[in-house]
Amino acid sequence: MNLLLIILLPLLGALLPPLAIRYGRSASAWTAAAITLAALLFALGPLVAVFGGAPQEVHWTWLPQAGLDIHLRLDGLAALFVLLILGIGLLVILYARYYLAERDPMGRFYGLLLLFMGAMLGVALSNHLLQLLVFWELTSLSSFLLISYWHHRSDARRGARMALAITGAGGLAMLAGFMLLGHIVGSYQISVILNAGDLIRAHPLYAPMLLLVLLGAFTKSAQFPFHFWLPHAMAAPTPVSAYLHSATMVKAGVFLLARLYPALSGTELWFFLVGGVGLATLLFAAYNALFQHDLKGLLAYSTISHLGLITLLFGIGTPLAAVAGVFHIINHATFKASLFMAAGIIDHETGTRDMRLINGMWKYMPHTATLAMVAAAAMAGVPLLNGFLSKEMFFAETLHLSALGAFSWVLPAAATLAGIFAVAYSARFIHDVFFNGEPIDLPKFPPHEPPRHMKVPVEILVALCLLVGILPAITVAPLLAVAAGAVLNGPLPDYSLAIWHGFNTPFIMSLVALAGGIALYTQRHKLFALHDRVFPGVDARALFWEFITWLMDTAHAMTRALENGSLQRYAALLLLTAVAAIAWPFLNSTAPIAGPVPAAPIDALTLLGALVMMAAAVVTTVWQRQRLTAVIALSVVGLVVSLTFVRWSAPDLALTQLSVEVVTIVLLLLALYFLPQRATVDSSNLRRGQDLLLATGVGGGVGLITWAMLTRPYTTIANYFVENSLPGGGGANVVNVILVDFRGFDTLGEITVLAIAAIGIFALLDNLRLEMPATDDGGRPWSSERYPLVLSQLTRFLLPLALLVSVYLFLRGHNAPGGGFIAGLVTAVALILQYMASGIDWTQQRWRLQYHPIIAAGVLIAAATGAGSWLYDRPFLTSAFGHFHLPLAGEFELATAMLFDLGVYLTVVGVVMLILANLGKLTQRSAGEGGT
Amino acid sequence: MLNAAIVFAFACIAAALLLNFWRLLRGPTTPDRILALDTMYINTIALLVLFGIHLDLTAFFEAALLIAMMGFVGTVALCKYLLRGDIIE
Amino acid sequence: MLDTLIALFLVIGGAFALIGSIGLARLPDLFMRLHGPTKATTLGVGGILIASVLHFSSRGDGLSLHELLVTLFLFITAPISAYLIARAMLHLRGDDKP
Repeated sequence: MNLLLIILLPLLGALLPPLAIRYGRSASAWTAAAITLAALLFALGPLVAVFGGAPQEVHWTWLPQAGLDIHLRLDGLAALFVLLILGIGLLVILYARYYLAERDPMGRFYGLLLLFMGAMLGVALSNHLLQLLVFWELTSLSSFLLISYWHHRSDARRGARMALAITGAGGLAMLAGFMLLGHIVGSYQISVILNAGDLIRAHPLYAPMLLLVLLGAFTKSAQFPFHFWLPHAMAAPTPVSAYLHSATMVKAGVFLLARLYPALSGTELWFFLVGGVGLATLLFAAYNALFQHDLKGLLAYSTISHLGLITLLFGIGTPLAAVAGVFHIINHATFKASLFMAAGIIDHETGTRDMRLINGMWKYMPHTATLAMVAAAAMAGVPLLNGFLSKEMFFAETLHLSALGAFSWVLPAAATLAGIFAVAYSARFIHDVFFNGEPIDLPKFPPHEPPRHMKVPVEILVALCLLVGILPAITVAPLLAVAAGAVLNGPLPDYSLAIWHGFNTPFIMSLVALAGGIALYTQRHKLFALHDRVFPGVDARALFWEFITWLMDTAHAMTRALENGSLQRYAALLLLTAVAAIAWPFLNSTAPIAGPVPAAPIDALTLLGALVMMAAAVVTTVWQRQRLTAVIALSVVGLVVSLTFVRWSAPDLALTQLSVEVVTIVLLLLALYFLPQRATVDSSNLRRGQDLLLATGVGGGVGLITWAMLTRPYTTIANYFVENSLPGGGGANVVNVILVDFRGFDTLGEITVLAIAAIGIFALLDNLRLEMPATDDGGRPWSSERYPLVLSQLTRFLLPLALLVSVYLFLRGHNAPGGGFIAGLVTAVALILQYMASGIDWTQQRWRLQYHPIIAAGVLIAAATGAGSWLYDRPFLTSAFGHFHLPLAGEFELATAMLFDLGVYLTVVGVVMLILANLGKLTQRSAGEGGT
Repeated sequence: MLNAAIVFAFACIAAALLLNFWRLLRGPTTPDRILALDTMYINTIALLVLFGIHLDLTAFFEAALLIAMMGFVGTVALCKYLLRGDIIE
Repeated sequence: MLDTLIALFLVIGGAFALIGSIGLARLPDLFMRLHGPTKATTLGVGGILIASVLHFSSRGDGLSLHELLVTLFLFITAPISAYLIARAMLHLRGDDKP
């Protein structure tokens, strides 16, 4: 339970800081900090257990049939991330309290930060692939919101969009990869997958699966060539960069590599893909970092480079390399977060991040400078700092690799080269910013030390860098051991966390890197000039936007080509596709169309009905331009269809058809009033010929299919319903029992959709006033009598009769033709009749009912009936009825079905009335104003 | 004898329906067509009741009842449309 | 005996319904045509409904009264329909002066 709380606290707590902001900025910050602390507190117990060697695991069943359950697991690796996320999160919250300006909405900031924190904790703790993916996407979304926190700035918006596009695309690829992985293993549970490594690696789908999963990891961790979103995400407030873009979110990619390491690693493909991409990223980003003039840009590229290093370590695939990778995750998080915070302080105090302007800060803020310099030295890999230790392990691992054969020297050489660049850009960070003469044209001058508390988080992190660097064995060792143990999913290799391993090759590589880096930095001016000449403005961002523009243009062009706004064209395309789909199997099959089942004998009356229906249908089409006549002909079709239902023993269908028929007629007449009474012929003869051909094709095709279907023996599920209707659902009317019981959930969904549609229509019609024609199509003025006396007086007798019929249909619906849906339509029609005969005002004065609440009541009653079965510990809706009609409770069972039906009834009445009454009201006001 | 009467009545109603439909097709005015449709509804009621007697089933009464009601509402709507254009005002 | 009665009502009903429809088809203008369906056909349907009442009541399930509801409906609505159709025709002819 505690594990779930760790995630839920920040996720739900995200709502609180925006509420607390009304009590002041500090209140908001304290709320966020308290939530984080509480999560840390809940994590404490499980964490202690994990350090004691017992991973914590919980799971709740949700949809076991679909393999969708909630699985949480806290092992060493997850513990490491939980500590990073919550620990650094706490520091960032403190830091942001002072970083954000008065005008920045702080409540929103902390809310989003907590949302992200919860999502990230979810990623770390998930023991189920799909669940992990959900949290993974949630980190992308919350990061999008955080990057665009200053949404008035276009660079923030663009940076956020780019980050979302890249990581979102990666997430999609990863989803596909996860599906494959789940398919290969037969389970989405990560702890199962980790033990199925051999099965996975031997599977033919291993390669595509790995590629897709890695796409997700690489985009998230900004690996080359998907790195470019990270520098542009620097438009985010610096606390966000310190948190997301150094310590947590970008680590999600390498976290995934570490998480799935036992399952996926150990193949050549893994080595070349992960190692290759890691190496390329390491070198490319280290080189680029040196040429950034933006303080945060330098840090961003450095982050990419370090992420490349970690990726490379996991790619190398030896147990020791994996240990080094985990170690570097810890170290990088501490020194990079503190560097970002220091950069934020400098930005905050000087008003710029351009290193060409910021010089000589040592004089103005010696305290901050000291902290930043220690952290930067850790980044460079200077001895006695934590960065040195993991870098030494990295150098050592590059030496022990034999996979490259004769090219084994490449890796150590590349590692040293990357080390040289790392030292050079670290030197630039230190020297350019804190020394190098005097500041130039600073927006804020003179800069000074920030508020005391703003430095506390930096101090804590820098102290950690030092502690780990000097006393690794008594500080970081246990954490590293459990985390690395979890990554390897097996015994740990021998390694020693000592500062001094003797004067060996890795140490020489470190020395070369240090000396080379400083030498490189002293020659930086020549180098900058060279860089500008060789790579003038090569920018991945431009390529990205070009691609996006191309994508949008292509999409627009395709849309324009396919969707030109002509409904006829859409219908034609749709029907043409249908005809092709029907024709294809018919043309490719030699089987006769008619099956073995003989046709039923035909009687004269049925034949007559069929002929009348066909004739009426043809006439409807032929008369379609004289709208009213066509509507009358259409009514005949509807009538004969109802009779057909009766003829083939489907009285419920007949009743529904009859009611729907008249409601449709009323609806059509309401709409026709606003349309021209006669339509002109607009299409050419050729076009009409084509349409005729198409219509014949579709009609003939559907006819053939029906013929083929009906003449073949087939088994239906109907028998099941017929047999179980009375014993299982307590009603003799199978149709109604299906609606309210067997398929009750469908019905609930349908009435909900109906309610939404009605409210949508209401929203469209509300306050809409249309021009009314003053005369009919013959030019005659309308009859002056709005409500003919005979009509209005006599129909009043009909209302109670009709309501009686509707109650009758409703009450007996469960056992005989009828039910809530039909009864609802009948009631609605009875009311509509009063509207037509006596007017809206007259009716509503006597029938004071709002239709919105009726609809709401209907849906709620139906839903509550379904939920009521929970009280009896039964699943929603379905089995509840089974429960109720157990011994003695036959009556009771009927009652729940009827209650559900009542919900259907109310919804139908409300929906029909809301739509028709509002269509009628379109003219009401203006008719009143006309005074006729 | 009952059977013969039922067959006779079926024949009468069927012929009546055909004649109604013919009037509906012929027109010539819209009220003619509305009247024809209304008569078809009424004859259908007779047809359903006959059907019920013939099969000895009461399951068709609801349908007959609804046809009586819906047919009337349809006629009112169509006439109101001719008279006023706006059927719900 | 009862069967004879039922048969009689069926024949009368069928005949009247047919006659009403013949009137609808054959008479020269709408105002004349109105008489057929409204009077003869309504009566015809009434006859068949009575036959039905007799038939289902004779089966021993008690008096069958569904048909009365249908009849009631028909007898209330038929004049209204006829009135409205006539009004509509008058309106179309331009004689609509209430």
